[in-house]
Amino acid sequence: MFSILSALAQRIDLLKQVRRGNTGDVIYKVLAYLFGLALLGIVVAIIWELWVQSAFARQEFGISFLWSTSFDPVQAQFGALQFIQGTLVTAVVAVSLAAPLGIGIAAFLVEIAPRRVNAVVGFLVEMLAAIPSVVYGLWGIFVLAPFLRDYVAPWLTATLGWTPMFSGSFSGYSVFTASLVLTIMILPTAAAITRNVLQAVPKEQREGMLALGATRWEMFSQAVLPYAKGGVIGAMALALGRAAGETMAVTIIIGNARRIFTSMFEQGATIASVIAGNFTDADSGAYVSSLFLLGLILFAMTFTINVLARLLIKATSSGPTG
Amino acid sequence: MSQEGGKAGPQRAGGTSSVTAQTMEVQNLSAYYNKFKAVTDVSMKIEPNKVTALIGPSGCGKSTFIRTLNRMHEIARGGRIEGKVLLDGEDIYDDRVDPVQVRRKIGMVFQKPNPFPTMSVYDNVVAGLKLERRHKKSELDEVVEKMLRQAALWDEVKDKLSANGTDLSGGQQQRLCIARTLALEPQVILLDEPASALDPMSSQKIEDAMQELKERYTIVIVTHNMQQASRSSDYTGFFFIEDMGQPGQLWEFGETSKMFSNPERQETEDYVTGRFG
Amino acid sequence: MRRMTLWRALLAGLVMALVLAGCGGDVAEEGGTPDEADDGGSENGGDGEAAGSITGAGATFPAPLYNEMFSTFAEEEQGIQVNYQSVGSGSGIEQYINNTVEFGGTDAPMTDEELEEVDVETLHVATVGGPVVPTYNLEGVDELNLTHEVVADIFLGNITEWSDEAIAETNPDADLPDEQIQVVHRSDGSGTTFIWVEWLSAVSEEWADSVGSGTDVSWPTGSGGDGNEGVAAQVQQTPGAIGYNELSYAEENDIPHAFLAPDADSEFVQGSLESAETAIEAAEVPEDLRVSVSALNVTDDGAYPVTGLTWLLIRQEMDDLAACRATAEAAWYATHDGQEFAPPNYVPIGGQTLETSEEFIQSMEAEGEACYEG
Ligand SMILES: Nc1ncnc2c1ncn2[C@@H]1O[C@H](COP(=O)(O)OP(=O)(O)OP(=O)(O)O)[C@@H](O)[C@H]1O
Ligand SMILES: [Mg+2]
Repeated sequence: MFSILSALAQRIDLLKQVRRGNTGDVIYKVLAYLFGLALLGIVVAIIWELWVQSAFARQEFGISFLWSTSFDPVQAQFGALQFIQGTLVTAVVAVSLAAPLGIGIAAFLVEIAPRRVNAVVGFLVEMLAAIPSVVYGLWGIFVLAPFLRDYVAPWLTATLGWTPMFSGSFSGYSVFTASLVLTIMILPTAAAITRNVLQAVPKEQREGMLALGATRWEMFSQAVLPYAKGGVIGAMALALGRAAGETMAVTIIIGNARRIFTSMFEQGATIASVIAGNFTDADSGAYVSSLFLLGLILFAMTFTINVLARLLIKATSSGPTG
Repeated sequence: MSQEGGKAGPQRAGGTSSVTAQTMEVQNLSAYYNKFKAVTDVSMKIEPNKVTALIGPSGCGKSTFIRTLNRMHEIARGGRIEGKVLLDGEDIYDDRVDPVQVRRKIGMVFQKPNPFPTMSVYDNVVAGLKLERRHKKSELDEVVEKMLRQAALWDEVKDKLSANGTDLSGGQQQRLCIARTLALEPQVILLDEPASALDPMSSQKIEDAMQELKERYTIVIVTHNMQQASRSSDYTGFFFIEDMGQPGQLWEFGETSKMFSNPERQETEDYVTGRFG
Repeated sequence: MRRMTLWRALLAGLVMALVLAGCGGDVAEEGGTPDEADDGGSENGGDGEAAGSITGAGATFPAPLYNEMFSTFAEEEQGIQVNYQSVGSGSGIEQYINNTVEFGGTDAPMTDEELEEVDVETLHVATVGGPVVPTYNLEGVDELNLTHEVVADIFLGNITEWSDEAIAETNPDADLPDEQIQVVHRSDGSGTTFIWVEWLSAVSEEWADSVGSGTDVSWPTGSGGDGNEGVAAQVQQTPGAIGYNELSYAEENDIPHAFLAPDADSEFVQGSLESAETAIEAAEVPEDLRVSVSALNVTDDGAYPVTGLTWLLIRQEMDDLAACRATAEAAWYATHDGQEFAPPNYVPIGGQTLETSEEFIQSMEAEGEACYEG
């Protein structure tokens, strides 16, 4: 609503400028407008497509699709709950691990590392973000999973095996492995953006805190981090979005079991993995339509995550983030 | 203003603090950024309960020098010094001295007001105090009022203590930063062009605040404002740089009255009379 | 029976590019040479001569075989070009229904629902077969004997330990570990799954009732791998795993696979070209040929029951006589002379399956004429 109003206001402004003869400005604005509209158009088109294509599933299964856990192509019964669970659990676990690590890496680079190390490692971190996800998936199978099975899982079983979270045996392909692979995949995103955000904190803020007799750590935690909070939350929201939407690596490593899981050692599936894994082979209208509906749900989830992140930024920082 | 001074005086007398202004002595101090020597061989004595002004053309090393006085210089990349800085007879650069402690004893106010934007006015004032230990709420309340009064800001902000530090005007922000520095009850206060980003009115208020503060503190101030320096300081140091790429030096140092009326060196006279710089 | 999605997208893109390039070439040629000249130059002459080029699309499993046999077909025989695009059974069926290709290729027969979308009768011409074998990962166990019932119970989640008595009974000499069984299945829809679950449905009532059959089912237990390679990777990476793969895939990757028998006293048979061929020969297939041999659970001597077929999907009545003739020729070649290319990765067809396929090809017609000329 607001955007429409402001768009109107800007258009009127634009007309005035044409009259005034600021041609360059006008061209620039029109172009910017077109690109903005194109982006909006693409988003609307995607939602529309998902909506239309999922019509059958929405009618057939109703809103209970959201909390149904059946997924039986033979009986043409489909539900979303196990995939919502898989998506949320893997993404949230990944972000809660990647956030402290990412902030730590960024803090080290910005606050402690010599400038050259910062530049080189910063570049490497950004490179990591560009590695295709299938590579992460394969690394997950051939390196991480055996490592976890031989060293980490036995220890977890011994210490936390009594909790439902780490009960059962660990086969390598699991929600746990997928969450860790996701952690590593989104770590570069989290670290790189956080690094940029921290770097943007004015020198005056750091010096102001140091001059009050703060240690470097106090300076970081009391002045730098609060100042950068909005940006850091934004970085984590982006990372969360990436984790929720990640497909290839998860499909390879999560075990693709279309069931609710109770232990991190069990296999599971995410919305993205089930869509990618089954879309081309889905052999009934109900199946295809259900996958579209899952896509719509994923879209809604990422959208919600971003809105929540924005609200969180607004609520927690009365600071300079605007 | 003398009234306000009268108010602050008794309060302090009845307060908790045991601040004593201290003498600082700089001996043959040179400051570097990596290999680049920014300031060379400065020696001067900074008297307690006096305002010492540092003046000089841009780039001659005033900021660099003043930051060596509370070990803020070494934060800069490649920042290091040679020489000694004595506070009450002890070298603040001694190996056994923790720079963090030095900065608590020697406070600093910067050119650009830099209140912490995520903190309220109240929290800004006590930010430094909260670092050292936990304080009682009543204790903090007292400190906040006292310091804001000393910084001549209390009347303006007493109703918006929970407002954001950055919601104040530029001049108020700068006085908030002064209050924040005072809260640590330092022995010396360093101000690097504290009024240069402010309008004349705000600038005047800071000058006034300084006059009261010198009763309790040793004050060093960098300023480009000659009137301000001549009016409000007791001693003046003139920094000068002979040639581009040369390090800045303390060209002349003395009582302010003499420096502005009858300086020893020609460059000093040219500068204070506004002929260059 | 299909590569990873990524690869497929790439492949599809490549094929598209090739087809487009090919079309461009055709147009140019047509411009230079009138149609009549083309016709006049061909061996058979007349209106109903086999078209120069036909297109098929579908299953990836038989694609290497089709490519090999059809290129030889083009050289040796009528000079008919057959383009086979390996886009997967699902897309193959779709393209066949939409009539954008002369024939489709599939690893799982079309469903009744799908058949209704085609206005004429659809013929399932079987070309070759392939066994699907239970691959496993058990350190030091080179030979594993499982009864049909045990396999079903493992995949149902009824048997969860390798040390289970039912397994030990048929493997007195094997050193079975005290480990959990990790069931691995396909996570994508596939003909391999179809062959496997058709068989499980045939041997286990419980399976038939609770899970059923299709190219994708609701697995009661285990983890899923994407594609044959996904299952193979999981099996190889997970001690105590058991999955199912195409025989050729298991052999290429040296993954051991179990021997099967209806009960502990019968002969245990391992999946191989010979045992699968025996099963196809012996299978009493239904008239429309729309059944996986595995659904019949052939237990004759030396027959390996978990064997599937792959089919060409052909319209019994086609619009264009030339295209129909070319398709019929190609299909006949594929079921006869082309069979020599089947080993070692594919099982040649025989018995009733071959007879029925022959009848199908002979029944093809277009413009009121039979298409296969013998
Ligand atoms: N962080 C730094 N790294 C390297 N060189 C610096 C740094 N800060 C200042 N310098 C150099 O040191 C010299 C002195 O700078 P300084 O900031 O001390 O001057 P100043 O007298 O405060 O000038 P102004 O009146 O403009 O504030 C200048 O040549 C400057 O370029
Ligand atoms: Mg300066």
